[in-house]
Amino acid sequence: MAERRTQSGIPLKPFYTAADVSPGGDDDASRERMGDPGVYPFTRGRMSSPRRRDSWIQQELSGEGTPRRSNEQFHQLIARGARGLDVIGDAPTMSSMDPDHPLARHAVGNTGVSICRFRDFEDLYAGLPLDELTLSHSLPPGAYAIAALHRIARRRGFDPKQLRGSTILLPAYCEDCSYQIHMPYELRMRLALDAVEFAATEMPRFHAFLEDTYYISDGGLNSIEEMALGFVEIREIVRALIRRGIDVDSFAPRIAILVNCRMDLFEEVAKIRATRRIFARMMREEFGAKDPRSWSCAITAHTSGLSLTMAQPINNVARGAVQGLALALAGVQAVEISCFDEAYRTPSHDSHMVSLRTQQIVQLEAGADRVADPLGGSYLVESLTDELEHRIVAMVAEIESLGTLEQVCDSGWFRRLFQQAMTRRAKAIQDGSETQVGVNAFKIPEDEDQLLRDHSESKIAPCRERIDEIRQFKQDRDAGAVAEHFARVREAGAASGINLIEPIADALEADLTQGEIAGALRLGVGEAYDPLRQMEPPVG
Amino acid sequence: MTTERPVRVLLAILGLDQHEAGAFAVATLLRDAGMEVLYLGRFATPEIVVDAALEEDADIIGLSCHSWEYLYYLDELFELLHGREISTPVVVGGSVIGRDDENEIHAKGVAATFGPSSDANEIARQIRSLAEARGA
Repeated sequence: MAERRTQSGIPLKPFYTAADVSPGGDDDASRERMGDPGVYPFTRGRMSSPRRRDSWIQQELSGEGTPRRSNEQFHQLIARGARGLDVIGDAPTMSSMDPDHPLARHAVGNTGVSICRFRDFEDLYAGLPLDELTLSHSLPPGAYAIAALHRIARRRGFDPKQLRGSTILLPAYCEDCSYQIHMPYELRMRLALDAVEFAATEMPRFHAFLEDTYYISDGGLNSIEEMALGFVEIREIVRALIRRGIDVDSFAPRIAILVNCRMDLFEEVAKIRATRRIFARMMREEFGAKDPRSWSCAITAHTSGLSLTMAQPINNVARGAVQGLALALAGVQAVEISCFDEAYRTPSHDSHMVSLRTQQIVQLEAGADRVADPLGGSYLVESLTDELEHRIVAMVAEIESLGTLEQVCDSGWFRRLFQQAMTRRAKAIQDGSETQVGVNAFKIPEDEDQLLRDHSESKIAPCRERIDEIRQFKQDRDAGAVAEHFARVREAGAASGINLIEPIADALEADLTQGEIAGALRLGVGEAYDPLRQMEPPVG
Repeated sequence: MTTERPVRVLLAILGLDQHEAGAFAVATLLRDAGMEVLYLGRFATPEIVVDAALEEDADIIGLSCHSWEYLYYLDELFELLHGREISTPVVVGGSVIGRDDENEIHAKGVAATFGPSSDANEIARQIRSLAEARGA
């Protein structure tokens, strides 16, 4: 029989004993490795007592069509018991392109919500208690959402300092996997740093620094690669913020990581535990953080869309339950379970509800979070936690030895890694070395595979009326204000030492669109306004 | 068709669909099967695809999709192909091709479709036979 391994390739023994884990105990070395929940190095969790821990924030990724349609989705999710929201943009939005871009013509609103204006953000948040909800934004780069949310909160009489939620940054990787925004490394990094610096004082409860390792890993990176790349980016951003003269303890407590959760239950639990330990050591020992809150990393998770199958879609409900359980056992701050139709589309109302109910069942019926770190002390889980920690730290060191992060990015090293991972994963499914029930095991004939198939394969039509609406909007707005703010953003992009968030917020309020702001920033750093060269700037 | 040169497959992703996992997987399996793959990458349009197919003398046009944009681009693509009297077979592979879509796009003129459950050897076999039928 072939050697058993975890999904990331760690060899497994038939069973584990005390000899496989570093000795526990009350000595300093043991405490430095594990500690109790809520105590450095936070291997066993961020919080100690169940009362302080509260339950994880139960949310689901959502967004489709116009901002108003997405706002309706938000209200439905909240009515069903969601305590947070996570909004995802359609392909143009994720690429910093407006709906009227010629290449957006078939992609508006059918894989997420279409957002490009200040009033879109207003519509998106309409009627929501902004100070009571966690508002997560899978809308890179985070600068737009932070700028818009800050201004909207003020207009609506909420204190921006009370806002909770997050934005994803991804300055190092976004060009190489999924949504390319066609900005050079330095500009991407500056947008990230400016967002974190701005939020550290203006929105101190908001996680402006969300390292989204889900986003980079769901093409096929394994757990080790996922976290190594995440830490490489976190370390680079932390070093750059410190170089700006910002106190590490002013932003570190607001660093969060959005991790992927695949199907390898014990490896995913161990990965999250190892991540907390690596983070704590790094922040205290390497970056000199003094505030204990800077050492404990908030972890939020999204279950792997790659693990879902179009065949026998109801099987995806079972997958979500296993992954939700893994996350409850690992102890995380927020969870999103990918929905049963997500192999095909952004989630429907019904599939949203099943995923939310899965979370509620794992928490309230199975009681998986009644005590902190219930798997702590398991020979297997402790052994895997140590092994993953070693392998992640080693890969971080390997990547950092290749050159500066900018050099490694620009050399195509990450692009190759993503490409290899996607190919490797496809081969593993093809040759059966990774089992996917219903795909390479226990297949059934197409005509017998009916349950939930029609439901899962219902499409979302592109929102073509939105293209006309945005075209009209661009004609009707105050051209003088547009010209003034376009020039300001462009100049801010060209200058150094100016935080870009205020000029971006002003520009959004003056009815510039995200596509135009991205273009003005590109012009500021000497790049083409539209990388695909099909759009002209709004002003000459 | 002679066996002098390997089957040449042009592979592209249309529009703003930026998911490349399927394209990389298919490119690798076709190369492993001895074919030549020209990957046009992301942000392709029907015009770019047709121009490249002519320029590179492709035997097959392969489209990879993880969004529904391809459904609309197919009309534009076939219009261009017919207008320029190009008969290169078009195949579509992707994670979002539902059963209804399969019938619909075959009716539009797509020669073969593949999904995440398709067998690698079967994908290579079908593409080779389409290329050979065209050359015959």
